[in-house]
Amino acid sequence: MKFQSRMRMFVMLIAPIAALLLVVASILYGAKQITATTVWESLFWFDASNVDHQIIWSSRLPRAVGAILIGCFLAVSGALMQGMTRNYLASPSMMGVSDGSVFVITLLMVFVPSAHSTQLILFSMLGSALGAGLVFGIAWLIPNGMSPVRLAILGIIIGTFLSGVADAVATYFQISQSVSFWYNARLHQMDPALIKLSIPFAFVGLMLALVASRSLLVLSFGEDVAASLGQRTWIVKAVTILAVVILTGVSVALAGKIAFVGLIIPHIARFLVGVDHRWTVPVSGVLGGLFLPLCDIIARFLNHPFETPIGVVTALFGVPFFLYLIKTRGGGKHA
Amino acid sequence: MPKLSNARFWTVLGSSLVLIVIVAYLSVTNGTFDLSVLDVCKTLLRIDPLPEHDLVVFEFRLPRLVLGALIGCALGTAGAVIQGVTRNGLADPGILGINAGAGMAVVLFMFLFQGVLSTTSWWSVLSMPLFGLIGGLIATAVIYLFATQNGRLDAQRLILVGIAIASGFGAITMYLSLKMNPRDFEMAVVWLSGSIHSANWKFVVMMLPWFLLVPVIWFRSHILDLFQMERDSVRGLGVSVERETNILLLCSIGLVSASVAVSGSIGFVGLIAPHLARRLIGWQHRQIIPISGVIGMAIVMSGDLIGRSVFAPAELAVGIVISIIGVPYYVYLLMRTKK
Repeated sequence: MKFQSRMRMFVMLIAPIAALLLVVASILYGAKQITATTVWESLFWFDASNVDHQIIWSSRLPRAVGAILIGCFLAVSGALMQGMTRNYLASPSMMGVSDGSVFVITLLMVFVPSAHSTQLILFSMLGSALGAGLVFGIAWLIPNGMSPVRLAILGIIIGTFLSGVADAVATYFQISQSVSFWYNARLHQMDPALIKLSIPFAFVGLMLALVASRSLLVLSFGEDVAASLGQRTWIVKAVTILAVVILTGVSVALAGKIAFVGLIIPHIARFLVGVDHRWTVPVSGVLGGLFLPLCDIIARFLNHPFETPIGVVTALFGVPFFLYLIKTRGGGKHA
Repeated sequence: MPKLSNARFWTVLGSSLVLIVIVAYLSVTNGTFDLSVLDVCKTLLRIDPLPEHDLVVFEFRLPRLVLGALIGCALGTAGAVIQGVTRNGLADPGILGINAGAGMAVVLFMFLFQGVLSTTSWWSVLSMPLFGLIGGLIATAVIYLFATQNGRLDAQRLILVGIAIASGFGAITMYLSLKMNPRDFEMAVVWLSGSIHSANWKFVVMMLPWFLLVPVIWFRSHILDLFQMERDSVRGLGVSVERETNILLLCSIGLVSASVAVSGSIGFVGLIAPHLARRLIGWQHRQIIPISGVIGMAIVMSGDLIGRSVFAPAELAVGIVISIIGVPYYVYLLMRTKK
């Protein structure tokens, strides 16, 4: 495993530099061209009367930081879910997690119109838990529910259902616009206050993820083996699910629904550093944190000077990768 | 012509038609502008017609009703064929990505001819489903490419590939729709949500030629029965499996694409209608296919009625109503499957 241990070192060393470069690029490029000197000045000699400085601090920087965080959270969630279910398709976007979040936020907006950001984040997490809970719960109830195909179908139809109900509620109470404002195209209007709010949650989530990742390897040998090795599997599972719910909930609250990051990054991480979750989970986080800002920068150039939704760019990478996974892994025995 | 002597078939057909008539009656009389049956009959039979009744009945309610019926019938029939061909009860034009492919092509059409485009010109109205068909065929080609292994269609892979290409085509559609000018974009958004809100008689006329495919399917329905056996045994009976599969799939893709071109993506009809049909009348496809069509008709018509009456004055797209009702049923089906 020489390649993999060298990869670990390489990823860990190269990641901070790459992240820094991405942040700089992300600040430099956009609808308005800003020079490198202006960026430098704004970081160290902030001038409130300078419009460029304002743009950098209120929009470009939060956006870059937001993209890194969200990419990291989604990828870690994906790695945890794939590790726990031993299903190569398990990932936040596949499991109806974000749709659950949209559903609960819609209800909150109807019944507590005065809810502030902290509440919205909390309820977004609750919604993620609801979505994931429904999908996993039903998957657990039906025959062979955990097989890749069944789980994918369940995720999609439960997602459709939840977003359909949310849509119906929003239409009925005529708040479709505010709901879609909360959920769509959030990355280019990232709220710095929201990022600050989300940091404590994210910290807890990441800590739980690291704790869980230490035990996931044993769990990945199968429940029986894990139990016979003296592992209390339900604790591991509960911690994993909690971490997933917190991390995905925060990302959905920050940026809405972004597909494929949590699906493809863990596969790349496993390819690079092997199947040991103590490495896969953090490396997924690092790679996710690089991948999403990259997609975000591409999104700005795809239809310059207009923004392209980031989902289009993640799909650009995600769909071919997904097809490749299907081609190489297949669907298992059960449809 | 296969003989249909089964009493059960006629009972189911009859009761579905009764249901359709009831829904039709409710749809024509109810709405922002309530009409009595007498008014409707008078308008239809041209007995001293009032211009405002004419407007409501002929311009708004009837085209919508007829269009809903046609779409439901097309989707139900196509769903029955696709489930029969793939031998997979979970297959549905939506889940397989055929809707998304057709949808992408139609949005591409709207995009290429933006500004020039209007829903009222015959040329654009009639060519939209053709574009949809091309998109549907591309989607099917991709599915085939990725879901076949050693020349066999893998039923498990089929669904995963469908999910993948549905999200791929969805992304392209989103990209295209954002590059459109605002007016066309509005139209694309309304249309993408799976709604028959903007129904008019031109759409109805546009759907009609595609129903020539239904008899083609129906005369081949006995082949779908054979398809439930192993492919090799079917070959042994002297059926050219590939050719028949292609014809049947092409016909159903044609039907799906035509519906997508007028109403956007309405999911779950093609999934639920054949399931209900099978539960009600058994396993003979020459009976399943017409019953699926009629049940599909009833589903879309009722969905549209619910969508526009429960949420009045706002309207909920029929696609959303059907998915809210359809998903629990689908989960129920998943729970019942043995394997």
